[in-house]
Amino acid sequence: MEALIRTENLTFEYTRDEDELKIVACDNITMEIPAGSFTAIIGKNGSGKSTLAKNFNGLLLPTGGVCYVAGYDTKNEDTIWNVRQTAGMVFQNPDNQLVSSVVEDDVAFGPENLGVPPLEIRERVDDSLKRVHMYEERLKAPHLLSGGQKQRIAIAGVVAMKPRCIILDEPTAMLDPQGRDEVMDIIHNFHREGITIVLITHFMEEAAQADRVIVYDAGKIVLDGTPEEVFSQEAEVRARSLSVPFPIKLAGRLRNRGVDVPDGLITDERLADWLAANRKNLRAPGAAPYRESDINLKRRSGKPIIEVSHLVHIYNENLPYETRAVDDVSFTVDEGAFVGIIGHTGSGKSTLIQELNGLLKPKSGRITVDGVDVTDPKTSLRDVRKKVGLVFQYPEYQLFEETVEKDIGFGPKNLGLSDEEIKERVKEALRLVNLDYDEIRDRSPFDLSGGQKRRVAIAGVIAMRPKVLILDEPTAGLDPQAKRSILAMIENLRHKEGMTILFVSHNMGDIAILADRVFVMDRGKLAMEGTPEDVFHRVDTMRSLRLGLPPAAEFREVLTEKLAAADPEGLALLESLEKRTTLTLWQTEDLICNWLNAGSASEEGGER
Amino acid sequence: MLRDITLGQYYPADSWIHRLDPRVKIIGSLLYIVSLFLVKNYWGFGVALVYLAVVTALSTVPLRFMLRGLKPIFILILFTFVLNLLMTSGDILWQWRFLKITRQGIYNACFMALRLIFLILGSSLLTLTTKPIALTDGLEKLLSPFRKIGLPAHELAMMMTIALRFIPTLMEETDKIMKAQQARGADFETGNIIRRAKSLVPLLVPLFISAFRIAQDLAMAMEARCYRGGESRTRLHEMKFRSADLVAAVLLVLYLAAIIVIGRLL
Repeated sequence: MEALIRTENLTFEYTRDEDELKIVACDNITMEIPAGSFTAIIGKNGSGKSTLAKNFNGLLLPTGGVCYVAGYDTKNEDTIWNVRQTAGMVFQNPDNQLVSSVVEDDVAFGPENLGVPPLEIRERVDDSLKRVHMYEERLKAPHLLSGGQKQRIAIAGVVAMKPRCIILDEPTAMLDPQGRDEVMDIIHNFHREGITIVLITHFMEEAAQADRVIVYDAGKIVLDGTPEEVFSQEAEVRARSLSVPFPIKLAGRLRNRGVDVPDGLITDERLADWLAANRKNLRAPGAAPYRESDINLKRRSGKPIIEVSHLVHIYNENLPYETRAVDDVSFTVDEGAFVGIIGHTGSGKSTLIQELNGLLKPKSGRITVDGVDVTDPKTSLRDVRKKVGLVFQYPEYQLFEETVEKDIGFGPKNLGLSDEEIKERVKEALRLVNLDYDEIRDRSPFDLSGGQKRRVAIAGVIAMRPKVLILDEPTAGLDPQAKRSILAMIENLRHKEGMTILFVSHNMGDIAILADRVFVMDRGKLAMEGTPEDVFHRVDTMRSLRLGLPPAAEFREVLTEKLAAADPEGLALLESLEKRTTLTLWQTEDLICNWLNAGSASEEGGER
Repeated sequence: MLRDITLGQYYPADSWIHRLDPRVKIIGSLLYIVSLFLVKNYWGFGVALVYLAVVTALSTVPLRFMLRGLKPIFILILFTFVLNLLMTSGDILWQWRFLKITRQGIYNACFMALRLIFLILGSSLLTLTTKPIALTDGLEKLLSPFRKIGLPAHELAMMMTIALRFIPTLMEETDKIMKAQQARGADFETGNIIRRAKSLVPLLVPLFISAFRIAQDLAMAMEARCYRGGESRTRLHEMKFRSADLVAAVLLVLYLAAIIVIGRLL
């Protein structure tokens, strides 16, 4: 196949501003992207993968070696516009790449720059908008659209330039699951039409949908192959601070327990098929024992720390666009609990958490936190802030001081504490977010890495010593490794410090593992509430609320379907095992191992 | 919520005036403003009133929308009125110490107030019937002849376009940062001026950083979409001078002539 993008010893070096360190983002890379292919590039933050992508369309020029796009050398100034038109680029932040305040004018921006005649621009704009399903919104202002819609407009803007290749730099990082699905569908459509796709992503499930995966680390290509080939090397992938898709993870764990699962079962379907077909011949010698029981070990009982009753919040009251963002919500949260709050964008989650912190005043209803009435106008906000800490999405955007110490000290200072005490609290907060006080205190928060910035910002809230900590998507935009360590840190706050955690997230997998209770918000109402097992077992309700499932529940669904069709007996066995034991969805590997053993045991005449 | 702010004061409709070439509307508004300074007596305002009434009726913009534009400058009108009323010398009708009201004062005060009101009403019609983006396009076209003397017409229009696009984004950003700092106990509302100014630092620093980040991202995105300045650029919405525009131009000339003639004769 013809190579659309070809690099020969491509090298890109630059000096980082913060510490004047020389960075080699591309180290002597020779590779080809064939026309019509779908390549995913994965790698941790700072691995240089974005830099590589920007070299692919001449936004950055190699400091050594060559990069050819459709035969044009990107260094040749005369043909640079051909390069950019051939390889269009979509960026991470949907807001920061739209130029015009009218959707159709924005899509027209590229063709206008290319000097396309007005009548043809009209055709291209209409056609591109229809292809991303945004034609109806063509006269709207971008700031009124959802993230997924904005990102689709950005893609339409590139498509209107008739590119042969679209390079997408983490296009779904800032989107909710629904927006992410919309964008991935569009990407697949364009690939089917023959457009070459280069997708940079932190989501392994997205990478697994490509036909080639490149693992990039420290300016080098570490692994390169089909998703099956790459993800089968789980240890190697993990060593690069990445993770693998759920079925691969599960297969690995089954192997550890003695089940001989073959490599390359990269989708739920394939692994489920294999398990269903081979169930009777499989045994898992290393299966963990389980207890017959029906009590839920995860549920704790304690005294309630948050009590919310009949809370109502209305935006734009008495105006035509009045919205009831929170509509008669009541609940209690026990001290030391870990509550996951889920719901699609606009369901009222963020209004609710701002109410809990006293940032918004409700229309009616009552909130008490540890004895303090948040909704009482006489309560001082300072007292509320001492009880409830709120960490917003992308909290690093609120950093402003010259040093880390001063920034974290901002909250305690506002509480009116003495310098001694402030210092004490800064030290403690940094310890809790696993950063070294002496090393980091005098550094500027702006010189830190993305993950460190986020820790410092979270420390800024922890330093106020809240009893309840609310976090809104604390892992958004981080690479798998940074994500894991932030989650471990939050677990620690709860177990060691006894903080009550309210965790807002779109990541059902995280919620399933961390939370002991889940609140599901929908159109301002508390639609469901229960343990993760309760909530994620109600698959149909979850789907009707346009919410996804944790990977484990997703897999269980697929397995159930396969079994229902091919092996009803196996299905009955699985369901009874789940019902009468402590095995839950989240220890999928243990559940499956015991299921396999039970199956083969009954085959052999019930030895067990 | 901040998402719902409307920019400028565009009144969405599809009237004859809305459909006019923005260039005609811009020039028309300018000439109308000039005409108000050519008005010498109340007869002139009569002509202007007829003109304004006709244009307003054609634009289908409700009267209360237009009058709303007067609210923010009501104080200015009142101030002008009172100043002219009390400070004009002439036949004294009423006097208290150094304050006096004269016949000429009443005349001048009403005259000036009317001029201001007509000025605001007429020019607000431009923004009420023209989308901001069409306005910038029109300005770019009108200013382009001055490129030869070094006026960066395209760049100015581009800056306006981007400003219009990002004002709501920055407002949202401000709201977010403000709430985040409030959650850390920041207080933007109480205290004296110095305290309040100081309390803005935790808001302004992140906001500036955010604005720079947007600028950087946007520059990169524009470059990726082959932006290279105004040279050889085409436009989706081409401005065409149509017959309706010609009619509008003729009406405008007739109006100006009427103003001048009445100013001379009466």
